[in-house]
Amino acid sequence: MSQREIQRQSPWPHRLAVLLALVTFPLIWVGGLVTTYDAGMAVPDWPGTYGYNLFAYPWTTWVAGPWDLFIEHGHRLLGATAGLVAIALVIVTFLTEKRTVIRFAAAGALVLVVVQGALGGARVLLDARLVAMIHGCLGPAFFAYLAALIAATSCRPPSSERTAAPVSTLGPLARTAWILAALACGQLILGAVLRHIPYGATPQVFRIALVFHLVVAAAVVLQVGWTAVQAWPVGRQFRGLRSPSLALLALVALQIVLGLATYVAKYSWPAWFGDYQFAAAYVVEERSLHQALVTTAHVAGGSLILFTAVTLAMRSSLAAVSGESRAPSAHSQPASPFSALLWKRRTAL
Amino acid sequence: MNRSLLILLAATAGGVALAGCGSPAAEYRRYETFAHKAAQDAGIEKLKASQLSEVDDLLAAFYGTPDEPAIPAVEDADIASVLSLPLLQMAAGPVGSDEQGRPRGLYREHCAHCHGITGDGNGPTAAFLNPYPRDYRPGKFKFKSTPVGGKPTHADLKKVLLEGVAGTAMPSFKLLTDIEVEALTQYVIYLSLRGETERELIRMQAELDLDSEPNARLVNIVTENATDEERQLQQEQMAAVKEKIATVVNKWTGAMDASVEIPPRPEMTPEELVESRKLGRTLFYGSIANCVKCHGDSALGDGQLTDYDDWTKEFIGEGKDPEVVAQYVALGLPEPRNIRPRNLRMGIYRGGMRPIDIYWRIRNGIEGTPMPAATMKPDGDPNAKGLTPDDIWHIVNYIESLPYESISNPNDAAERALERMRM
Ligand code: HEC
Ligand code: HEC
Repeated sequence: MSQREIQRQSPWPHRLAVLLALVTFPLIWVGGLVTTYDAGMAVPDWPGTYGYNLFAYPWTTWVAGPWDLFIEHGHRLLGATAGLVAIALVIVTFLTEKRTVIRFAAAGALVLVVVQGALGGARVLLDARLVAMIHGCLGPAFFAYLAALIAATSCRPPSSERTAAPVSTLGPLARTAWILAALACGQLILGAVLRHIPYGATPQVFRIALVFHLVVAAAVVLQVGWTAVQAWPVGRQFRGLRSPSLALLALVALQIVLGLATYVAKYSWPAWFGDYQFAAAYVVEERSLHQALVTTAHVAGGSLILFTAVTLAMRSSLAAVSGESRAPSAHSQPASPFSALLWKRRTAL
Repeated sequence: MNRSLLILLAATAGGVALAGCGSPAAEYRRYETFAHKAAQDAGIEKLKASQLSEVDDLLAAFYGTPDEPAIPAVEDADIASVLSLPLLQMAAGPVGSDEQGRPRGLYREHCAHCHGITGDGNGPTAAFLNPYPRDYRPGKFKFKSTPVGGKPTHADLKKVLLEGVAGTAMPSFKLLTDIEVEALTQYVIYLSLRGETERELIRMQAELDLDSEPNARLVNIVTENATDEERQLQQEQMAAVKEKIATVVNKWTGAMDASVEIPPRPEMTPEELVESRKLGRTLFYGSIANCVKCHGDSALGDGQLTDYDDWTKEFIGEGKDPEVVAQYVALGLPEPRNIRPRNLRMGIYRGGMRPIDIYWRIRNGIEGTPMPAATMKPDGDPNAKGLTPDDIWHIVNYIESLPYESISNPNDAAERALERMRM
């Protein structure tokens, strides 16, 4: 694909991928609320709602109904919308996009949406916590997948504005960012274990999960710091690398505060704060809006960190490959096999 | 190096997830700690597996399962006055709700991760919490209006659920509907009844004389061709078990209106209040009430720091023998932690902030903790040692002024509190 071809490339796959991400993020919030309010079983059947077709369920009953029914049905409606957008994405991509990888990636998004919907249904029909947990983890994973898709379909791959690109520094940045994404992903799983802790589990299980959650949190902080250090110099030459790494710094700081706040909102202040007035007087209020918002924000924050990490990782990987293609004399390795595959034709130019 | 770290992390995360998910459908957990203790008390090494499973079977027959609770059918107790089956069913079982928005599984939704399915105070999150969530099985509750040894009234329990316990993990459930709180209150009573029954049955098992009759049971199994005598014996055995259950139930039904009466708080002018606080202070440091022993010279709650609560002490005593401690911890006792007397300079009271709540705490003590009931002066004997209801109000007045008292110069506390009141 030549530079001109890229410029003629249809912007629609990219736009639809962005739209899909915009639908998915609130979906993660609402899904978090469903868990917070344990509303998952508010509607006992699936795919219908009380025998109605999903979209035909009387909206007055929905809006005026009980809160848990409201969010559970709302969750399903949003999910269905994501499905429709994903279908549109696949159609448009197959019509306008020539790169097989992108076509596959778009189709993959649709498959993931369908699987996620089916898992959600299985969660309702089987009422199984394990399914609920997988459903909860796949949501953010899909969101991260979209980050990659958005970066890959972008018409303006991050490119060097000057000629002498320090391509060699892009590879390490990409690697750090991918590791960060993996850490964020593991952290989401641990968080899900903490939230969905089965009632029959022993205190030991919870203890291990919580300790790991804290250890991985520390690792994420270090990794985010390291990405920022690496991204800063490279960002002078390449567009779109500094902003995600800055965003990561801010998100992680916020996420830590939200995590502590979540603990307090659920379990009150640890006993060693007991001699402070604010801690002694604190009463956990189950189901309060405060509690729900803090916990859900923490969950959504995790997804956003993963999303941003993948964005940064994809951009640096792609930039590395495009940098190589422009300076064929530099014999640096492709940053990742995936990006190499994606830009293969271009290097062959 | 990074890669192997990642694999390690992923494997552990997966392991944790699986360990958690592999747990079977909800089941009551056996009262292992008590079974051990009962055996020790009876001078036997341990109860036989068959004895423990008979206890399980009897409990299931009377109380059902976590998914299908039952109200024990005993004639000699008015159990309907404390439990109603539809409400228990609302609280029991897996989480969900029907189209009318009527909830199911409330206990598992709101309580089990701390208090455990069995109400043993040992849910998955319990180990991190201080104080630990309540173990309902011994039937002891802290914040109540009834005397030590008595059950809380229905209103007492409900108040704890509605208001939560400040400064602890116990949440307030005031955002649930009234019927939900009612169902949960009853479910706490149900689990507590079940736990106390389990204790009684285990104790009965421990007292069976297995040396002379190795196959003795609490209730024999009668076959088709059993003799009349055998049937008769079995019925008597069943009656004995039911009587135990009735005793347990009656403690609850009897408590429903057993709040300790409180004479109204005396009306006082500001000057009288200052006097009352001074009297209260004298009592606080005096030898009868001796609050200072535990709450400390400056009332910061630093007097007596090495004691345990009853849920712990029952098993490990003073906690002097690490081997005993380890034994019970292995059987499921939460890691023993010292109980700290309240810091009274904070002005926060876990059992309620009203003067009447503080009165009850001082008058009745806090069950299950070292905080003792006040020694009251017997009626009609003015020379006997002890406190009068007015004395208790003096102490309440002093306690309420403590947050304003200067630690370095306590003597002007009463006046300073008065100034504040006038401001
Ligand atoms: C986040 C953990 C947590 C949850 C959830 C929780 N509790 Fe508690 N609960 C506690 C702790 C901790 C205590 C001990 C407080 C103390 O000893 O001061 C307690 C104490 C109690 C007590 C005893 C109060 C007394 O006077 O002794 C009752 C009854 C109780 N909880 C009922 C419930 C019920 C019913 C629910 C569910 C609706 C529930 N709890 C949910 C942590 C929790
Ligand atoms: C043997 C030790 C001991 C003595 C003596 C004692 N206390 Fe306590 N007190 C405690 C402990 C322990 C607690 C904390 C109990 C708990 O876990 O809730 C407590 C708690 C309290 C509370 C807090 C109640 C609440 O609702 O939070 C008050 C008020 C109080 N004590 C007042 C007094 C007064 C007044 C006296 C003297 C009449 C006194 N105590 C004597 C050990 C003691």
